[in-house]
Amino acid sequence: MAKVTVKLFGVLRMDTKLKAEEINIDKVEDIFDSLNLIVDERFEENKKSNPLLPHPDKLSFKDAVIFINGERCAKKSKKLSDGDEVWLLSPASGG
Amino acid sequence: MKDKLLGYMGKVLKIDLTNRTSEDFPWTDKDRERTLGGKVMAADILLSHIRPGMKAYDEDNWIVVTTGPLTGVGCPNTSRFNISTISPLTGIITSSNCGGEFGLSLKRSGYDAVIFTGRSSSPVTVNIINGNVTFDDASALWGLTTGETQEKLPAYHGKLVIGPAGENKVRYACVFSNERTAGRGGVGAVFGDKKLKAVTAFGVKIPEVADRESLRKLNEKWTNTLQNHPLTGRQLPKLGTAGLVSPMQAHKILATKNFSAGRFKDFEKISGEELAENHMLSNAACTTCVIRCARTVCVDGKHVKGPELETLGLLGANILNNDIEQIIKWNYELDELGMDTISAAGVIAFAMELKEKGLWDCGLEFGKTDNISEIFHDIAMRKGNGDILAEGTRIMSEKFGGKDFAIHAKGMELAAYEPRHAVGQGLGYATSNRGGCHLNAGYMVVVEGLGLDVDSLTPHGKAALTIAFQNLMEAVSACGSCLFTSYAVLPGFLIDKPNWFLTRAILACFPYVGPVVNLLSHFTKVAAINIPLVPHSYALKYATGIKSTVARMLTWGALGYNTERIANIVLGQKANADKLPKRLTNEPQDPSDPRTKVPLEVMKKVYNRARGWKDGIPTYHRLKTLGVRISKELYDSVVKEAYQNGKSDC
Repeated sequence: MAKVTVKLFGVLRMDTKLKAEEINIDKVEDIFDSLNLIVDERFEENKKSNPLLPHPDKLSFKDAVIFINGERCAKKSKKLSDGDEVWLLSPASGG
Repeated sequence: MKDKLLGYMGKVLKIDLTNRTSEDFPWTDKDRERTLGGKVMAADILLSHIRPGMKAYDEDNWIVVTTGPLTGVGCPNTSRFNISTISPLTGIITSSNCGGEFGLSLKRSGYDAVIFTGRSSSPVTVNIINGNVTFDDASALWGLTTGETQEKLPAYHGKLVIGPAGENKVRYACVFSNERTAGRGGVGAVFGDKKLKAVTAFGVKIPEVADRESLRKLNEKWTNTLQNHPLTGRQLPKLGTAGLVSPMQAHKILATKNFSAGRFKDFEKISGEELAENHMLSNAACTTCVIRCARTVCVDGKHVKGPELETLGLLGANILNNDIEQIIKWNYELDELGMDTISAAGVIAFAMELKEKGLWDCGLEFGKTDNISEIFHDIAMRKGNGDILAEGTRIMSEKFGGKDFAIHAKGMELAAYEPRHAVGQGLGYATSNRGGCHLNAGYMVVVEGLGLDVDSLTPHGKAALTIAFQNLMEAVSACGSCLFTSYAVLPGFLIDKPNWFLTRAILACFPYVGPVVNLLSHFTKVAAINIPLVPHSYALKYATGIKSTVARMLTWGALGYNTERIANIVLGQKANADKLPKRLTNEPQDPSDPRTKVPLEVMKKVYNRARGWKDGIPTYHRLKTLGVRISKELYDSVVKEAYQNGKSDC
C-alpha cells in the first residue's frame, strides 16, 4: 500500500466537500472507493444536523480528470508510490 | 419571411455629439439579414465609414453600440450588447461586449443600435428615452467613479458610464453598465475623448417575434439544456470563471511571472475553490442569464462584483502574488476607476519584468504588492509613472525595450492563458482581430485541456477548429447571446466522462478533423441544417423569421471576421501582423520539451489557406463571396500599403 495525498478541485470538491485526503492505496482505481467511503461517513455525520442534505453522487474513475505528481494520467491500473500527490479535477470552461 | 423582419426594433440612431443632434441612420431589413446584428453589424457600419489613416481620437471616429436580434425576445443569456470603435490601444477595430442592462434598455427605447459621432466640447450625458434624445451637462459627474456616476443617474434607466481612467484617456479604459464591463480595447478612452461621460436608455417597447409559441418552447428547452450541461449548469454556477485556475495549473497554462511559466506554486490560494469557499457571498448574473457565473464578494463593507479568472490569474500568478483578498480589492478599485483588469495587470507584470531586467524601474517588482493600489490610481489619473503605464505594454516596449517579453498581440495584452501548453489558443491570440483576446481568439483552451482533453501540443487540426470556433462565437455574439452559451455546443457526455473509453476515442480523432471542418465551412449546403447543439439558430428563425441554419450561422461569423480584418487593413494593419511575442514562439516553456512553444508559422499557413487569406489579408474574391462591402479601388490601395514597409507593429 502506498500513502498518497489526494486533492480534489472544481465541481468534484464542491459536491463532495472533500478538499485533501491522505489515503493508503495501491493503484489509481482504488482512489474512488476510498474517497466514496469517506464521503459516506461524513454524509452520515452531517445528516444528523441537516436531514435534508442530498447524498453526493458516487465518484468514479470515468468522471475525473486525474493528474499524478503534476502529470496527466488516464490509466486506472497505474501503480502509486508513497508520497505521490494525486489531483482530481472536473472539466471547466469560462472566459 | 414576413414583410418586416421581426425580432428587431427596425431603427438605428445616430447621435452627433459635436452639434448635439440626432437622426435615424439608414439601415434596412436587407442589412439586418445580411449582418445579423451585434459586432458583425458594427464592423459593417465602421467599414463603410473609416478611411486610411483614421485614428481612435479623431473627431470622426465613430462609436457603434449594437444589440442583437435575440436581445429582449425572452431567450436565455441574451442581454449582451457590443461596442465597436477604433481602439486607442491597438489602432485597429475593437469590439467589446458587455452584459449590463443597457442593451435591453436601448432596444426597449426603440433602437437596435446607436452610433456616436463627433466630439462634445464639454462633458455630456446622452439620454435615449422612448425614442427621444436629450443631452445633459455632465460637468458634475466628471471625475466620479463608475459606481458613483451610476448612482447619480436614474435607477430605472439602462446606463453606460466611464470612470476617471476613461476621462484621462488611459488606453485600456473601459465602459460600465451596472457592474458589467465592455472591458477590452480602450472603448472607455474613446468615450472620454468625446467627453461622453454617460449614456442612459429607457423605454417600454417590446420587439415582436415571428413565432412566439415555438420560441417559448425553445426557450424552455434551451434554459433546461444550459442548466443541466456540466459546464454551464454545474461548473460555472458553482465556481464561476474563477474555477479555471486549478485546471489551468494542472494543464500548465496558468500564466505565471509575465508568461515565463505555466504553473504557480501558490495557485490554491488564488483559486476559484478558495473564492467560493471563503469569500463569495452569493452568485450574481447578467439580466436574462440562467447560468449565474458572477460572484458577489465584500469589499470595505460593500457587496460588489468578485474577480473573474482573468483577474485572479493576472493579478495573482502572473505577478507572483498569492493574496486573494488583495486581488478582490484591486478588482473593485479597477472597476471603480474604469480600467480593464486584463490589460492593467498585463502592464504591471511587464513593468515588473522591465525592473528585473534593469530596463526601467517604476517601483513595481514581482512579489511586491504594497504599492499596486497607488499605481492603479496613478494610471487612471495619468500621474507620474502612471502616465507611461497608461499607454499599454506595446508602447512601453517601444520606449524601454523588452519586446520579446512584451506580452501582447497587435497591442492588446493577452488574457491569463499561457499558450505554450495550448498551442491552438496561441494561434487564436495571434489571429484574433482585436488583438490578444482569448474569446475573439476562438477559445481553443476549452478543447485543449480545460473542457475536453485534446492533445494541446499538436498543431494538427488546430487551424480548422480555431476558424470554426471563431466564426461560431462571432455569430453567437452577433445574436446578442452570451458566448458562454456556445460551450453547450460541446456534448455533455464528452465533458462529464473524461476517462471513458469512448470519450478518449472521439477526442483522439480531433487533430484529424481539419478537412471535415473546412469542408463544412466552404460548402455550406452540407451544413444547411439546424441541430439542437446550436439552439441560437432555431431562436433566430423563431424570433426574426430568417431561415437560419448552422451553416448560415458560420457564414455570418465569417462575414464578421473578414469585415473586421479588412477594416483593420484599411486602418493600417500590415501584412503578416498575426504575431506573438518571441517568448511564446521561440522559448519552450519546458526547456527539455521543444514542443512546448507555439508553432505559430506552421499553424498560420494552414489557417490563412483555410480562411482564404494571404499573409493575414482576405483576398478580394473571399470578401466578395461573403458579401463584405469594400470597393476594389480601396481594397487594392490598402493592400498595397499593407505590404509597404511590411513590418508589423507587433
